[in-house]
Amino acid sequence: MENRKGVILNIGPVHPATHGVLRLIADLEGDTIENIKVDIGFLHRGKEKLAEMRYFSNYYPIVDKLDYVSALQMEILFGSVVEKAAGITLPPRAVYIRMIMAEIQRIMSHLVFIGSFGMDVGNYTGFIWAFREREELMTIVESVSGGRLAPMYICNGGTFYDLPENFNQALTPVLDDIEKKINKDYRALFNDNNIFVMRTKGVGVINKSTVIENGITGPNMRAAGIKRDLRRDEPYLAYESMDFEIPTEESGDSYSRFIIRIKEIIESIKIIRQALKNIPTGPYKTSVPWLLKIPEKQTFVRQEVSKGEMAMYMVTNGGLTPYRLKIRSPTFFSLKMLEKILKGSKIADIVAVVASLDPVMGEVDR
Amino acid sequence: MNLESEEKNAADEFSYPGLGDVIFMKAEKFIETVLNWGRGWSLWPVTFGTSCCAIEMMTFGATKVDADRMGVLFVGDSPRQSDLILVSGTITKKMARRLINVYEQMPSPKYVVAVGACNISGGLYHDSYNTIAGIDRIMQVDVHIPGCPPRPEQFQDAVKVLRELIQKNKIERYDKRTS
Amino acid sequence: MTSELVEKLKSGLKGNITVISDDGVNDVVVLSDKKLIKSAAELIKGTHDILFMLTIVDRNPNFELNYLFSNYRNKNIIILRVNITQDDYKIDTVSKVFPSADWEEREAYDLFGIEFKGHPDLRRILLPEDWPGHPLRKDFEVTDDVRNWTGLDLKF
Repeated sequence: MENRKGVILNIGPVHPATHGVLRLIADLEGDTIENIKVDIGFLHRGKEKLAEMRYFSNYYPIVDKLDYVSALQMEILFGSVVEKAAGITLPPRAVYIRMIMAEIQRIMSHLVFIGSFGMDVGNYTGFIWAFREREELMTIVESVSGGRLAPMYICNGGTFYDLPENFNQALTPVLDDIEKKINKDYRALFNDNNIFVMRTKGVGVINKSTVIENGITGPNMRAAGIKRDLRRDEPYLAYESMDFEIPTEESGDSYSRFIIRIKEIIESIKIIRQALKNIPTGPYKTSVPWLLKIPEKQTFVRQEVSKGEMAMYMVTNGGLTPYRLKIRSPTFFSLKMLEKILKGSKIADIVAVVASLDPVMGEVDR
Repeated sequence: MNLESEEKNAADEFSYPGLGDVIFMKAEKFIETVLNWGRGWSLWPVTFGTSCCAIEMMTFGATKVDADRMGVLFVGDSPRQSDLILVSGTITKKMARRLINVYEQMPSPKYVVAVGACNISGGLYHDSYNTIAGIDRIMQVDVHIPGCPPRPEQFQDAVKVLRELIQKNKIERYDKRTS
Repeated sequence: MTSELVEKLKSGLKGNITVISDDGVNDVVVLSDKKLIKSAAELIKGTHDILFMLTIVDRNPNFELNYLFSNYRNKNIIILRVNITQDDYKIDTVSKVFPSADWEEREAYDLFGIEFKGHPDLRRILLPEDWPGHPLRKDFEVTDDVRNWTGLDLKF
């Protein structure tokens, strides 16, 4: 330490650029990062311990706050774990409702990403626009579930309510509007914007071998050229009968991680349109007792959420609560990579790289 | 303390409160009122966003609700030039000292808005091992916003309430309000 | 369909494993000796890319470690179950073989107090270094003292 010429810069845990409470300790030599350490755990709320203290039906509100920008997907994941363990089969309408809500939530999550990424790289208009579009979808989610960020819509055996009557008429124009804006306005603001492209292209490259070595999943993986998506490879809900593409990029830099998410929004819109056309009629939930007892079992379920492959491993022992619930968060694995990919880059690039990984600390710290 | 004993004490010290002092005291009060009127219209927040409520705080700053028109400018985000701290999100035990650290860097007068159920009573995490069940345990809060998470409109309402409290001189000035 | 990997493990580890399920997609095997975890990981390395998750279950007083390996090519997973007994909560690290195990092992060390021998950087990850106890153990009770403690005395 005595003979060092550089300085140690502490970024976070509360810093506008760190997306929540992420702390980075950078060892600088001039403007270049020699070494960087990632410190997490500032939002560790003990959710895995709380699972052991709550009934299966009462854990949903806590699951909501895992990845709070895609809360419905978290609820669906936990619902799937409980239903697989208890051997409950969903009615076909509930499967479709869940899939539609999951895709709406994926669009909303990616819009938050676009907004905050835009804000971090100096494109404040992007933030305002993305949140404007998100608010439209938020109105839809609110009309369906009654909640905004934490909807509490999924329950064991289906959903709490059926879709409202004019759901189709309300959702279709919003989707059309978003698709039109993504193809025109967002292209002008991001893809054709030289300043944005210069800021993000070639920054924070994660190549294929690093991805495979470190267990990175989701859009960050697809940006490095690996074509994998649990929605197609291990179809759950009704994704098997849906027709959609899995977009991939080759370079693995911040720019391609951004483009992937833009393309995924378009694919999600495609899925929702197909699902709205094919949605069956019938009951939206099966009757499941509020206090559920699950026999001794170990259940593992993984699903493709907006951040990557999220999984839950539930151990039950015949009681009213899980004996142990382990949550695998995708961003937990991506954040570890920051130590590797930021080495040798400039301070100003930290912002672009961290934002492009789309971390949500609620899910990382659990 | 009645008037007689006050006079007696003053006489003991051979100094009577002069007309100038009285006027000055009145003027200070008057200036304070005018300043508070101004402070209420221009609350620059430190966005201490830790979790879910932070996303709704971002919505509060974006279109539809638009914090800017209420004088709440999300500029700089530096505690050194802010007068309001929006504690939005769960405060864990690891975070507590950082919150106090940020709070103590703010210039006086400073106002605290605690957002969400976690900061009122612990909310969903009231029986967790690593959260603080309500930040009243570590600092004095002026306005609480209930909800898990609250709607952006509630942030708007909280700013309105806080402005009223400031302009009616209901909030005393403290330099250090941490325990 | 018996999985090739399970056969490979059986011959490589000289019968130290018990097979619970081997349908080729969701294999579950129990390793009887914790000293063999490293060689088991090396055998798995060829067919599986990452340690997908590491679930620790507190079977008081023993711990049950579930290593879940996955890969990027197909949907096969294998769960490797190891029990560690109360005489010492120590096990060899697999982070040299599977780099993705790095933070998972740190998390297990943090929340359960299991020591991973040979881990390059075994520190607490979610909780501060001077946090008392390991909260996810079954004998850790969330008492009023824990709830009312504000954490202001923790190291910065």
